[in-house]
This record gives sequence, structure tokens and C-alpha cells, in this order.
Amino acid sequence: MMPRLISCCLFLALSVNAFGQAQTNPDISLIGDVRAWYDSEGPRNIDLGLQELETSYRSVIDPYARADIYIGIGQHDGEFEFELEEAYLTSLSLPYQLQIKAGKFRSNVGKINQIHPHALPFIDTPAVYANFFGDEGLNDQGLSLNWLVPNARFYQELTVEMTRGPGESESFVHDEDSNRMMMVGHLKNFWDLSDDASLELGLSGINGMNGLGETSTIAGVDVTYKRKPLRYNTYHSFTLQVEVFRSWKDTGGSTITADGLYAMANYQLARRWFAVGRFDHSDLPDNPDWNEKAVSATLGWHLSEFQKLEWGARHSWGPDLDASWQGLVRAIFVIGTHGAHEY
Amino acid sequence: MTMEKSRSKSALSGLLLMIALVSTATVTFSAVDTHAQKRLNVVTTLTDLADITKYIGGDRVEVLSIATGYQNPHFVDPKPSHILKLLRADLFVTSGLDLTSGWVPPLLSSSRNSDIQPGGSGFVDTSVGVELLNVPTNTSRDQGDIHIFGNPHYWLDPARGHQIAHNIHAALVAVEPESEAYFTANLVQFDTTLEGKIKEWHTRMEPYEGAKIVAFHDQWPYFETAFGLDIVDFLEPKPGIPPTPSQLTKVMETMKSNEVHVIIISPYYKPDTAALVARQVGAHVVTLAPSVGAFEDVESYFDVFEHNLKVLIEALQPGTD
Repeated sequence: MMPRLISCCLFLALSVNAFGQAQTNPDISLIGDVRAWYDSEGPRNIDLGLQELETSYRSVIDPYARADIYIGIGQHDGEFEFELEEAYLTSLSLPYQLQIKAGKFRSNVGKINQIHPHALPFIDTPAVYANFFGDEGLNDQGLSLNWLVPNARFYQELTVEMTRGPGESESFVHDEDSNRMMMVGHLKNFWDLSDDASLELGLSGINGMNGLGETSTIAGVDVTYKRKPLRYNTYHSFTLQVEVFRSWKDTGGSTITADGLYAMANYQLARRWFAVGRFDHSDLPDNPDWNEKAVSATLGWHLSEFQKLEWGARHSWGPDLDASWQGLVRAIFVIGTHGAHEY
Repeated sequence: MTMEKSRSKSALSGLLLMIALVSTATVTFSAVDTHAQKRLNVVTTLTDLADITKYIGGDRVEVLSIATGYQNPHFVDPKPSHILKLLRADLFVTSGLDLTSGWVPPLLSSSRNSDIQPGGSGFVDTSVGVELLNVPTNTSRDQGDIHIFGNPHYWLDPARGHQIAHNIHAALVAVEPESEAYFTANLVQFDTTLEGKIKEWHTRMEPYEGAKIVAFHDQWPYFETAFGLDIVDFLEPKPGIPPTPSQLTKVMETMKSNEVHVIIISPYYKPDTAALVARQVGAHVVTLAPSVGAFEDVESYFDVFEHNLKVLIEALQPGTD
């Protein structure tokens, strides 16, 4: 069944010439992530291969809603597995500046949880995301209500999500024998400091059931400063981004408190070259005595809007962790329709 | 008693005066408010479309453009603050095709405004009815950042400005039919003025017909055709691909053999490479206005051509070093 589904998706994606699509067809694109890596720890230190192939189908359904579907074919333990990454409807015409999203989607948490890994400016997942939410971030099925706050002074967006509880997450679980849902709240504030600079401040809160059948709560703050001159915005940009999370895990008799953060600077050296540096620090939500620190650097070469090569190096250490080095090279390519630019 | 009467009278007069003032103020405010409410909110992708909309819509429209005139229209960043502009827009005017496909769809999806979605009553694609140039026969991306419907910089031919204005006029009339006569009078005025200026511009460019030039990026075919220029090569080897040493060598040879003395470039491309080539072959780099607002003196759609012809003619003058 699985290989047939994969073949079907690939056939759909590849058999339709993106430039020849009828206007009624959805926008179809296929994104490949090919990588090679080195890890100083473990029995096998080097490897390479296709990390993931992601197909996306996006279209307005009618004047009232649009649909976005992302299907990934990723490698797990040497086998390619089909995974429905996201599939959701988004309303387009609700009153009172509201928007509803329903289906399976990346939760509106922090600054990068909603961004697909291939679109991130670094190769590895920040430690706090991996340890608190899992390598794939927080992704769940449910309902999201988004309100554009009528604030004339600056952009403010409030999101409240109710989801069934993720199947794969370090902090939260789904339980078939319980009515517990996971609740997510996010307040995004955005200011244009000038034509060239902007500041974003996000506040996140998550509450749901943990693996012990008790409650876990995570609160987060994200701050992003971006400078991008309007005139030469394809040549220069600078982004400073910090995300801080704190987790409270109720174990029945006590509460475990854990913290995590990352700080990133992304400097565009030239029209096609980006240099990224990041510092990670993260406890484990289960064990605050264990923690991990890491520094990493990524150099990105954007050959065109449809292809980029990235080289990354990461050094991590901790009190109960052997110091290690990782090296990563990845190539991201896109075929099909032109995707949206990130901001 | 008399004093009390007088006080009562003056109090009454004061009250009446206050009522009159408040009424006048209310009426005035209402009139202003009604007038303000009547103004259509129009958001455009490009400054050129904003300027033409202002011309046709006159004082019955409030217009703002998301892109500036000195910004690469393909790489506008879809900032959250743009969503606030689109939220209450009656009309969204875009140049269409695939020039803005990287930033318009996410903004429209987040706008929570169903009127301005593609196909909606407030969505205006000004490319409708415009004859396009350079429609590719080979749509493979090995040709670079090609535009599948044809070159999207059509507003740089002033003759095509007529069709843009007519598309905007039709949309304005559709959303505010009671102002049709007003919009139509403005359209006629625009057409007449533009027609006159086109004749004048052609006359000025006649001596330079067939002049060979080189461009940084393939964005000037409409301007080239409109004014009888001949763009013989580009510094970019393929659209969107930065200049390579082999391409620059080829371009320099072409410029020498064709006696090309002018390289045209947009303000959002860094002039270093063009300046380097120009120095090698004894040519001039001329920065043209790709849109309204590109430079301080380019305040209107007409100014785009006034500015460009002025600087181009100066550079093409025989004997210009």
C-alpha cells in the first residue's frame, strides 16, 4: 500500500508539467533534501543520502477557503516512509478579521516551528526544539483560530489552537483513553522600525497531557530583529533571532522545570551567500540535570531561487554528554511552481 | 428681574449658539466623514499602477503601493504590516503574470479580505488585454528565471499604459458605478495626455533609433520596442543568474564590435559590475527608472519616461565621454 501511495504522489507531482498546468490545477511542487554528514560519535561516522522528498499541493478551493497539503517521503532507519506532514483548510472570508485553519498542521509556536526544515537557514534543528518538541517540531491535528487584532499602531495577531495531542513529541502525547486536548496560544507582534528594519516579538504558551498522564506546560518568547535595505534587499540582510522556552512537567507529585534557548545571527554576505551562527542551550523536559550546549555555523550558497547548497558544522557538549562534532552538507532543490518568499 | 431676564436670554442664546455650533460641527463632520467613507481604498503592487489609479480615481480613491519604485518587484518581502494595508482594501491592483508570485499569494491569503482574492470583485490584473513580448517557447528553468507568460515589465512601454489605465478604470467603475462619469472623464484626460506625450517622446528619440545598448537584466524589451532601441546583450548570462566572468568577456567583445557605449541598469542592482565593464570598453552606465519613485524627480508615470529619455539621450549624444 505504502509504495503504491508513494508512486502515486510522485507520479502526480512529476507527470504534470508545472508550466503547463491548467489554471484550475493546484500549485504543485517537489522539494528534495539530499545530504551528507559526519558525526564524531557512534559506530558509523559518515553517511549520505536522500533525507526527504516533499510534495506540496496548494490551491484556493473557492472564495471561502484554500487548501494546503504537504506530503513527505523521508528516510527512517534506512527505509523510505510516507508521511502526511500537513493538510489543512484555511478560511478566507470570515468576519471580524478572523481566520480558521482545520486539519493537520505545524503548531503556531515560537518563530520557526511553522517553517519546514528545508526553508530554515540552518541544517540541524535547534536543541531546544529537538528536546522539547521533537526533531520534526510540534505538529498535530485540530483547529486553529487566528485573530488579526484591530490595532492601528502595529501588527498584532492572536492564535488559539486546540489539537488532539501529538503522536510524536517529547513533551506531549495523544491518549485514546482520554478527552484531553492540547491547547496552544500565540501572540505575534510586529513593528516596522523603518523601511529597512523590523522587530517581531512572539509569546507562546502550550498546555497538554504528558507521557505520565499529567499536565505539561511550556511558555516561550521569541524575538526577531531583521534588517534588509529595500533598495538592495537581494544583496544584504541581517537577522538576529532569539527563542527562549521554559517547560513545567507535572509528574504527579512534583514539577520538573526545564529551560532551553537558541540565539541565531544570519548575515547575508552577498547576493547568493549567507553565513549563520547559532548558540544552543537546552535542558531535557524530563531531566533538568541533563543539559546540552552547542555552537554551530552554516554557510549557505543560493544558486538560484530553486536551489541552495549549505555547509554546516556543529560542536555540542554537556555535563553528561560526550563532546562531539558534526559536519553536514545539504542540497535543497525545488521543481514545480514558485514558492512563497519567506520573511 | 430685568437682569434675570437678561441672564436667561443670554443663557438661551448661548445654548442656541452651542446647539448651532454642535449641529454645524456634526453636519460638517458628517459631510467630511461621508466624503471620507466614499473614498475607495486601493492597494497596488507597483508604484506605476498606484500613480495611474490616482489619475483615474482622482479624489475618490486612497491609493498606496506595497513596492517602492527603487525596489526589485520580484523580491518584495511579504511583511505582516502589508497585511494591514490589504485588510480594508476595496481594490487590489497587480501587474499580474508571475512577476510578484513570490509575495502576493501569501499576503492575499492572510489578508482576510475575500473581495481582493483572485477572481474576486476587487482583484484587478492590469496585464489583461496587454500584448506581451518574449513569451518563451522553451519553459525549462535551465533558461534562468524565465517568465512563463512573457516578460512582465510591460508598463515600461507607455503605449501599453493605455490598457493598464483602461483595466483600472473598469475595476473602479465596477465597484463604484455612481462615479463612472468622473472616472471616465479622468481616463479620457489620461489617454489624451499620454498620447500627446508619446508623440513628443518618439520625436525626441527619433535621432537615436536603432541605438545599440547593453542591459544588466532582461527587463527592458517593452521600453526597447517603444523607443526603437536595440539591446544587444545582457550582463546576466541568463535572467536572474548573476554575471559570470565568461559572460562579461563576451559582452565586452560584443560592445566593442558593435560600438556600444551605454549599459542600462535598474537602481536595485549594484552598479559595480556594470561600471567595471563600462571602464573596460569606454562606455557609460545609465541607471534608468524602472518605476515611479525610483528617483526623486520621478513622481508620476509620465516622469518615468521623461527621466529615462533625458538620461539616455545624454548618454547617447555623440562625443559623450
